[in-house]
Amino acid sequence: MKNNKRKFLFAFGIVVIGYLFIMVFPFIWIFITSFKTSGEIFGTGAFNVIPENPTLKNYVTILFEKGILRAILNSLIVATSTTIYVIIVASLCAYAISRFHFRGKSILLGLVLAVSMFPQMIITGPIYNLFYDLDWLNSYFVILPYSTITLPMAVWILVTHFNQIPLALEESAKIDGASRVQTLTKIVFPLAAPGVFTTAIITFIAAWNEFLLTITLNTESNFHTVPVAISFLRDQFSILWGEVAAATTIVTIPTLIIVLFFQRQIVSGLTSGGVKE
Amino acid sequence: MRQKLGFSGWLYLLPTLILIGIFSLWPVVQSITYTLFDYKLNDQQKAGLYLQERFNTDLFQETVLYIDLFLSEDLTNITDSKDKEKVETVLQNLNRVASSYTDDKGIIEISKEERLEINQLYENTKALIEHLTKNYSLTHTDSLPLLVEDIEKSMIPSNFIGLKAYKEALGDKRIHIALGNTFLFTFVSVAIELILGLGLALILNKAIVGQGLVRTTSLIPWAIPTAVAALMWCYLYDGTSGIVAHFFENLGLISQSQNLLLSQGGAMVSTILADVWKTTPYMALLLLAGLQNIPSTLYEAASIDGSSKFKSFFTVTLPLLKSSILVALLFRTLDAFRVFDLIFVLTGGGPGGATETLSIYAYKTMFGQTNFGYGSVVVMIMFVCVAIIAMIFVRLLGKNLLDRN
Repeated sequence: MKNNKRKFLFAFGIVVIGYLFIMVFPFIWIFITSFKTSGEIFGTGAFNVIPENPTLKNYVTILFEKGILRAILNSLIVATSTTIYVIIVASLCAYAISRFHFRGKSILLGLVLAVSMFPQMIITGPIYNLFYDLDWLNSYFVILPYSTITLPMAVWILVTHFNQIPLALEESAKIDGASRVQTLTKIVFPLAAPGVFTTAIITFIAAWNEFLLTITLNTESNFHTVPVAISFLRDQFSILWGEVAAATTIVTIPTLIIVLFFQRQIVSGLTSGGVKE
Repeated sequence: MRQKLGFSGWLYLLPTLILIGIFSLWPVVQSITYTLFDYKLNDQQKAGLYLQERFNTDLFQETVLYIDLFLSEDLTNITDSKDKEKVETVLQNLNRVASSYTDDKGIIEISKEERLEINQLYENTKALIEHLTKNYSLTHTDSLPLLVEDIEKSMIPSNFIGLKAYKEALGDKRIHIALGNTFLFTFVSVAIELILGLGLALILNKAIVGQGLVRTTSLIPWAIPTAVAALMWCYLYDGTSGIVAHFFENLGLISQSQNLLLSQGGAMVSTILADVWKTTPYMALLLLAGLQNIPSTLYEAASIDGSSKFKSFFTVTLPLLKSSILVALLFRTLDAFRVFDLIFVLTGGGPGGATETLSIYAYKTMFGQTNFGYGSVVVMIMFVCVAIIAMIFVRLLGKNLLDRN
């Protein structure tokens, strides 16, 4: 029995370590490459684990010449503002769905679910024309159509979270003489805060990663977000892998920070969208 | 008791309804409309949705002016008095119609009757000029026939084509290939992700140590932008400097590391592998959450009843995990079917269209060739497929999905 358990632990260890290695390896390799010179990457030193002549040149080029900082700033602006307005709008909607009876509720929920399944490509053409007519191309207005991707998801996760807050709490507050506003600020908001925060993180990541709308609506590099700016490093004739690696390393840092600090919220957000609790 | 939503309560829903209405539903209706038109942004005659016949008055006026000028000059060369009379009537007619449009500028919409009148005019003028150039030697014998054609060009037909584009799409080989690629990519990558994800979730569920570390690590590939992941893999697969390509070559999986992204099969395999790398962790996390909801007492009961671990997997785990698996599959299948960023950055649909999916084809048609009409048809095909896939899953899930809320 003991022997069996050992064997299991051993096998388990190998599988987990192998898995971790595969997940992390691309990042490590990119990190190593970012310190290599072009000569080394394209020469015989391409597969060296330790760079021969470590250099920071790739980082200097990417940061000061290729304007990756501008892209990071754009991404921050776009993702933050999307998160703020989507959370406000979705909270109102989810609260109503969770707390009130009304006709067409299941139609609304079905609609929200259906919109989250739309292929994004279906809205890009008409939105492009709309933005062209309004002279909104190459602007931060791109955050408005971001609602197609983020809003249904946010509503869905928030409804699950609001449903977990017992209605009785609000009722007893009402009996104790609390006004509508007081009930909301003193009871609902504090209890809903973790769920709202979870949703905000997921929305932020979704907005940060958005690609199609930005590449079609904001063609000027001044308005490129991180994913789009990164994809443009893939020059048609030559790809400077050193620079690509440096850029990838830099733009992975914000994501890494979010994941490290908020992993609990992310997992709870992901699973409340999909799995029964 | 839940309260009824009063009139003011609808204000809670209003912002959501407005946003979804403007940025999700209206564009869908609009896209469907696009499919019915031969709508090309870079073609002046087709850069809009025109149900009506239209008429380029500027071109028409100019043309009439020149025809009048040239024919009057050539009148001396025409000897037959009957022909002379004919020329004068045609000129009169031309000028009469032209003068009726003097107040209009640019391109205007015209009715069917007006279109017929102008067309009649065109036919008459054309016949006359053919007759004249045949029988007389005119000074403007070369330019007159060309000028007449401008009358026809000034009439712009409606670009409404109904369902013609769909018919064209049915016979479009590129769509067949893209559809095949999309299904292949979706089916293979989701199947691999499900198997690996389920295995991983089962292992992690048993783990006492290391769950936190694995969870953190799993979230990173999911959280980074797909475009960034795609570019990273583009480097790893690269023919000269890519370590994964090099590794595959050493394993003997491919004969030459250059072949990975440049051969048709290799490109598809590479794309699927990159997708599996990015989304298996997500699948595993979803399934792990489902597994953790299964009470351990059930397994104990099963083992007391003499069920082996292997058997309890099929009798306890799988049935109770069914809805988790289906939900995870639904979202992953739809995501894979809509795949864009990954392929756009990694292969761009190449080589030779081997990894071109419907979304890539639609993007190229709409924003590469600015053919919004046909591009929308491709999108619509994708839309229908997505709807069918979603309906199949929702039916399998039963009422589970909506009931929870």
